[in-house]
Amino acid sequence: MRFRAKIVDLACLNHFSRIINTIAKLAKTCILRLTVCKLYFILSDKVANGGASMWCELSQGNFFDEFQMEGVAAEHNEIYLEFVPENLWRAFKTAQSAKAVKIKLTNKHCPCLRVAVELPSLSSSSRIVTHDIPVGVIPRRMWNDFREPSVPDFDVSIYLPVLKTMKSVVERMKNLSNFIVIEANLSGEMNLKIETDLVSVTTHFKDLGNPPWASEDGYQSSAQGRDVESMAEACIDIKKLQQLLAGQQVNPTKALCSKFNSSACELQLVGSFAILSFSRISVFIFVCLKVNIFTAPEDFQYLYF
Amino acid sequence: GACFLSLAVFGRAIHAIARISDEFWFDPIEKGLALRSVNSSRSAYACVFFSSMFFQHYCWTAGTQPCQKEKQLSLPCKLIIKSVLPVFRCVNVLERNVEKCSICSSPSEQHITFQLLCRHGVVKTYNLTFQECDPLQAVFAKHMCPNILKVHSRLLADVMIHFPSSQEEITLSVTPVKVCFKSYTEEDTDFSRTMLTEIQLSPEEFDYFQVGVDSAVTFCLKELRGLLAFSEATSVPVSIHFDRCGRPIAFSIEDLLLEASFILATLCEAEKEAASPEPNCHLYKYCIFQFHSLFFGAVSYKEKAIGDTFQSLVTASDTEEELGALQSSPVL
Repeated sequence: MRFRAKIVDLACLNHFSRIINTIAKLAKTCILRLTVCKLYFILSDKVANGGASMWCELSQGNFFDEFQMEGVAAEHNEIYLEFVPENLWRAFKTAQSAKAVKIKLTNKHCPCLRVAVELPSLSSSSRIVTHDIPVGVIPRRMWNDFREPSVPDFDVSIYLPVLKTMKSVVERMKNLSNFIVIEANLSGEMNLKIETDLVSVTTHFKDLGNPPWASEDGYQSSAQGRDVESMAEACIDIKKLQQLLAGQQVNPTKALCSKFNSSACELQLVGSFAILSFSRISVFIFVCLKVNIFTAPEDFQYLYF
Repeated sequence: GACFLSLAVFGRAIHAIARISDEFWFDPIEKGLALRSVNSSRSAYACVFFSSMFFQHYCWTAGTQPCQKEKQLSLPCKLIIKSVLPVFRCVNVLERNVEKCSICSSPSEQHITFQLLCRHGVVKTYNLTFQECDPLQAVFAKHMCPNILKVHSRLLADVMIHFPSSQEEITLSVTPVKVCFKSYTEEDTDFSRTMLTEIQLSPEEFDYFQVGVDSAVTFCLKELRGLLAFSEATSVPVSIHFDRCGRPIAFSIEDLLLEASFILATLCEAEKEAASPEPNCHLYKYCIFQFHSLFFGAVSYKEKAIGDTFQSLVTASDTEEELGALQSSPVL
C-alpha cells in the first residue's frame, strides 16, 4: 500500500483546508478512501438517534499536483483509512502560506499520514513542519460498510435561500423548539416552521427557483406530474440542521433542498465547490445528514439522485 | 512606591509569571522591582526585574541596615497571583483606560496597595495582603552554557503555533547545522493515538547561533508560553541558553528597562546514565538549578552568607563550580 500526494497551489490548499475544517466540525472520526482518481471522506453513521452521515467525494486532480496511490491489491486498488479529522485540520490550519504540502502514508511506529509543510522563512532554506497523524487501516472485508449511499426518489427539489439568512433563522428557531419543519414546492416557495404549545413561527421564502433535474435513470419519476403548488414537508431535528449549516466553511453558490416521499428529506447545497446533502432516515425521530462535496459543477451529475 | 511607564508590559509580566505558579515574590530593591516565582515541583523559575527607570516614579527605602543583626523584614514578600491578576486582567484595554497605576507597600499593615487611576475619575484600589517569606533566588550560570541562541520572539511564536495548546513538553535539538523543535513522547506513548509534530529550522533564522555541544533538551512548553507572550509584548529578542539534557534551559529577554528570565528544568533520559548504580531508579529525573535561601533583605552575591541550600530534587553534580561562579554570574 502506498500513497503520496502534493499540493503546491495556494488556492487549492485553501479549499482543501476548508473542506477538512468542515468535516472536522461534523465528526470525531472519519474514513478516508483513496482511489486512483478520487478521495472520499466518509462517515458512516451508526448512531441510533441521528447524526451526521457523510459522503464527500473529491476529484484529486482538482487539488493535487502529484497524486500516486497503490491499493491493497491489484484488483482492489483502493485504500481505506480511519483517522481523526481534527488532527488533519490542525496540520492544514497553519499551512496556509505554504510553498508546498506533501502527504504520505508511512509506518514508523504505526500507520500514519505524514503531512510535511514547507513554509517560507527568513533564510534561504525553508522551514519544514511535519505532522504524523495516526491512522487505522480498514481491512478489505469491512469496505462494504462504506459504500456509496443510495438515493431514493424525491418529491420536490428547490434552491435554498442565502445560507447566511437561513442559518440565522434556524439559529433563532432553535431556542423555541427541538424540531423544525421544512416545506417546499415546485413553485420556488419554501417555509421553515416551528410549532410549540405557545407559539408557532413560520418564515416564508419565495422565488427560490427549482433545479431542472434531467431525467437520468428515471430518478425524478415521482416528482414529475406533481402539483406545483403542493408542499412536500419533512420534520427535522433542528440542532442537527443548525450544526450542519454552522459547519459550512465552503461557500456554495446555490443550495438545494429535495424532499423525498414523506419519509425522507434531503437538503443539498450546490456550489462551485460543494454540494451538501442532508437527509432524514425516518419521520420525526431520526436525522441523518448526508454530505456530498464535489469539486466542480459537472461532478454534480445527479449521481446521488 | 512606584508608578508605571508601561502598564501593559507590567501586566503581561504578571500573566507570564502566573503560568509558573499561583504565588510570586514581590521584591523591591534599590535598583528596581523584582518579581519572582517558582513552581511547586521546583522545575520552573521565573524572574522579571524592572529597573527603577521603568517606572515614572520609583521610591525605595531600605527596611534594614546591613549592620543590624535582627531580622526586620517586611519585604520581599509573597503575594498570591490570583489576587493580583484581576488588577491586570485585560491588559490590552488597560493602557487605554488607566491613566496611572501606583504600587505602594505598607509593611505595618501587611499589605501592598495597587491603585489604578482610571478615566472619568474612577480610582480602583486593591489592597493585597502578603506573607513574609524568605527571599527566593536561583543561580544559573548562563554564560557557561555551550549553546546560545538568540531569536526574535515572533519566530518562536511562529514555531509554537504548530503545537496544540495542550502540548505539555517539547524537545529542542540542535546541531551546528540544524535546529529542531518536536513534540515529546514518553517511551510508553500510544503512538496510534498521538499526533506528533516536528519543526525544522535553519541556523540562519537566528540572530545569534552558537552550538558548542549537540544536544536535545526536553522542557515544559506550557510554562514557557508565558514568557513568549511577554516577549512579544515587549518585542525584545529572546535568548536561549542551554547545555546537554538534564541541565536547565534559560529563556531570557533583556533591555535597558527590564530583564526577564524563565529557567526550566530539562528531562534527563536514563539511557544516558548507563553507569547508574540504581537500575530501578525512576526513569526520568528533573535536574534543576539550586536555590539559596538568604536571610538578608537585599540579595547580593557579594554576601556569601548562604544559609540552607534548598534542594528539592537532584542537583547538578558540579555544584561547587556553580558556587564558585557566583562572583561573576548575574543574580537573577
